[in-house]
Amino acid sequence: MNRLVLASAGLLGVAASLAAQAPTGRPAVQPSVFAITNTTIVPVTGPRVAGGTVVIRNGKIEAAGATVATPAGATVIDGTGLFLYPGMIDSGDRMGLVEIGSVPGGQDTQELGQYNPHNAVLSAVNPSSVHVPITRANGVTTALTSAQGGMIQGWAALIDLVGWTPDEMAQNGRVAMVMTYPSVGGGRGRGGFRGGQAPAGDAAEAQNRQVRELYDYLREAKAYNARTNPVPQNLAFAALGPALRGEVPVIFDVQTEGQIRGVLALSDTFKLKPVLRGATESWMLADTLAARKIPVIVGPLTAVPTGDAPYDAVYAYPGVLAKAGVLIAFQTDDGGEGDARNLPYNAALATAYGLDPEEGLRAVTINPARIWGVADRLGSIEPGKVANVFLTTGDPLDVRTQVREVFIRGQRMPWDDRHTAEYLKWRSRPRP
Amino acid sequence: MKRLGVLTLPLMTGVLAAQTPAAPAPAARDTSRQLVLGTAIPAAGTLVAVTNATIITATHGTIDKGTVLIRNGKIAAVGKDIAVPAGAQIIDGTGKYVMPGIIDAHSHSSGEAINEGSRSVTAQVRMEDVLREDAIGMYRELAGGVTTLNILHGSANTIGGQNATVKIRWGLPVDSMLFAGAPPGIKFALGENVRQTNVGNIPGRTPRYPRTRMGVEELLRESFTRAREYQAEWKAYEDAKTLRRKDAKNPEAEPVPPKRDLQLDALVEILEGKRLVHAHSYRSDEILMLLKVAKDFGFRIASLQHVLEGYKVADEIAAANTGASTFADNWAYKLEAFDAIPFNAALMAERGVKVSINSDSDERARRLYQEAAKAMKYGGASEEEAIRMITLNAAWQLGVDKLTGSIDVGKDADLAIFNGHPFAPASRVEMTLIDGRVFFDRNKAPTLEYLIELMKRRPRANTTSEGAQ
Repeated sequence: MNRLVLASAGLLGVAASLAAQAPTGRPAVQPSVFAITNTTIVPVTGPRVAGGTVVIRNGKIEAAGATVATPAGATVIDGTGLFLYPGMIDSGDRMGLVEIGSVPGGQDTQELGQYNPHNAVLSAVNPSSVHVPITRANGVTTALTSAQGGMIQGWAALIDLVGWTPDEMAQNGRVAMVMTYPSVGGGRGRGGFRGGQAPAGDAAEAQNRQVRELYDYLREAKAYNARTNPVPQNLAFAALGPALRGEVPVIFDVQTEGQIRGVLALSDTFKLKPVLRGATESWMLADTLAARKIPVIVGPLTAVPTGDAPYDAVYAYPGVLAKAGVLIAFQTDDGGEGDARNLPYNAALATAYGLDPEEGLRAVTINPARIWGVADRLGSIEPGKVANVFLTTGDPLDVRTQVREVFIRGQRMPWDDRHTAEYLKWRSRPRP
Repeated sequence: MKRLGVLTLPLMTGVLAAQTPAAPAPAARDTSRQLVLGTAIPAAGTLVAVTNATIITATHGTIDKGTVLIRNGKIAAVGKDIAVPAGAQIIDGTGKYVMPGIIDAHSHSSGEAINEGSRSVTAQVRMEDVLREDAIGMYRELAGGVTTLNILHGSANTIGGQNATVKIRWGLPVDSMLFAGAPPGIKFALGENVRQTNVGNIPGRTPRYPRTRMGVEELLRESFTRAREYQAEWKAYEDAKTLRRKDAKNPEAEPVPPKRDLQLDALVEILEGKRLVHAHSYRSDEILMLLKVAKDFGFRIASLQHVLEGYKVADEIAAANTGASTFADNWAYKLEAFDAIPFNAALMAERGVKVSINSDSDERARRLYQEAAKAMKYGGASEEEAIRMITLNAAWQLGVDKLTGSIDVGKDADLAIFNGHPFAPASRVEMTLIDGRVFFDRNKAPTLEYLIELMKRRPRANTTSEGAQ
């Protein structure tokens, strides 16, 4: 079935069945009980259930299984021949912060200066961004959005892709502190495949200076946070408190082996809870990372290897990490250019080069939920969890699969994304 | 390759390159280079058979447990019950999928320079002059099943440089990569890049004309008006030579030829239909403008590149017999890409446009098969139509569809062999053949797995000092 039929059914069907429908975002009035019946449930945390029913009530999954009855008054969605998956979680993008890449007014990700731990992206997330409905239309229901540039970027936010305000979207507006680690040239690591060799000359000196600065900064912040009621207050240092107490993860956007070793040393010194992100050379330290239980956010796989790396290095490293026992999740790091909907195809590339397909699925669902501390709410189809689910014609990692229904927090999402709307509009253009 | 001179040379050099016998193997590369660049240069095989494979032909459906027989680099037979002659090199295709070698209709992979953007019209410059045989992007694309590239000039100016169509005969000298028989082409560009809207004014430098879409149209009309005049001057000269009185008593003076202008030579070739135009474009209005200019001057646009709003004017594109080479789903990277929709390819195809999906990127080119599948997801293209978007349709746009782009008898044996269906999530390329020769074989390639094995055998000293504090 092509997307047109789907889209029409979604637009007309939903519009007809509801009293009112908002032009964007969620419908204003929703029935609160749904039953998705006779479908294959893929809970991700347990075995698949054929011919199952999932009941959604007041935003939560009330029941899921083969023997679940459809409650009276539920809106029934026939899932015959279809598959129900937990909503996918993108562990790194610019959702709500970038609308159009090349237009300066459409970008809001980069603050001046190197150290901005007190910045929190959530308040800058635009709930009306056209990227939100476009992304969720492919079953990506949750995104970790964060800033970029400098050494410490501030708080990342974990948001569901629905809501009238940023606060409504938030699962956790302060889910992790985002940092990088100096590489040659400094700034956000996109460094080359240097095989862990120490840089030479001026570059090395610059890097060493940046490393010293970072250590000094964190030492000062630690000292500040040890004081009771410090005056004058330093909001930047205060913001680092939870990270320095090990209460929240610290995302390190790094690439090279050298940066990763630096992160390990830094984390030891300051008792941080690191999560590596990008980290294309992390395969060199897979056993170490597994032993130390440091998760890696892999991707984007839509990248070419740097330097002399093997041609398949970027595709194959998630599989190497997973086999070693590292907890992995995927990011699209789309730079705001609308690639977040392709999250599952990052995982697909990894499965073609060694990652177990089931682990590939977990790495876009339950694994990120665990890494971001929301596994009690998101990441799988289990009673009591938030009803972020989507109904498909098949494996979400397969590009050919169609998404039929998307629920976020138990709300049935309308097919109101800009791309579907433009398609329907222009497909109806009369032949000249 | 050095420029030798006039008008007809791009074609001639292509032919000459093809006739030059394969160069001897270059001196052994140092080990670290070799690891990346691949191992031996493949030998030319005379008889090769890919047997017992699922064959996606792109023109006549899919053949289960079929054989492709290759003789002297050409497809000699394809089907279910093909007898394999004794002595043939057998490639066991059991469990494998064979599709036509992927064609990327928009690449810059081997260009050492991409944009001669100092002027608005640079029709005289040639990508052929700046190709590198060791551009690693090409090797990685080969590993993604790509066999043919349309190496284009950049989009910095309205009329850019001349293209080069190459086959990724990795390991051979760059002249041997040129696709013999491919017609010459040229890059046009419209919109924001040409207007330099995202560059801004460079202090101390005069802004380059044009700065508006109307200026772009004017420049095109101006350029082809000049080209027509130049064409007429040469015709007058040729006529004068023919008609000159030659009697000994009263001879007319030998006519003086017009001044040779390499830029106008290329434009005249366009007017005469001898050079294919590949036009970078985004918005529907500028697409219509270009089609109208081309119609007014009597030439055809071979392909619109990017053409992200092509779905709005698909009927007009189809009526102009113009191809559309687009991204699968890239959008929002600039204002003129904000109306891009992933349904573009399927919707244009539905309206009769020959559509290809291209990369314009060393990264996307590695997984064009995944990109093509998006035409099925968004807009419901058939599987064969989606396959054609990265094979036969692209070949048609480059004017090489009689030579490559499908698995049909008589065509070049350009094949990509996958371990599963090319559109399935866990599939990867195992082998890539060009002219029946294996230019990529994953079993012999330096993979990450292989590197990890090497490192296990020779553990490196833990000498990293970075970050130790």
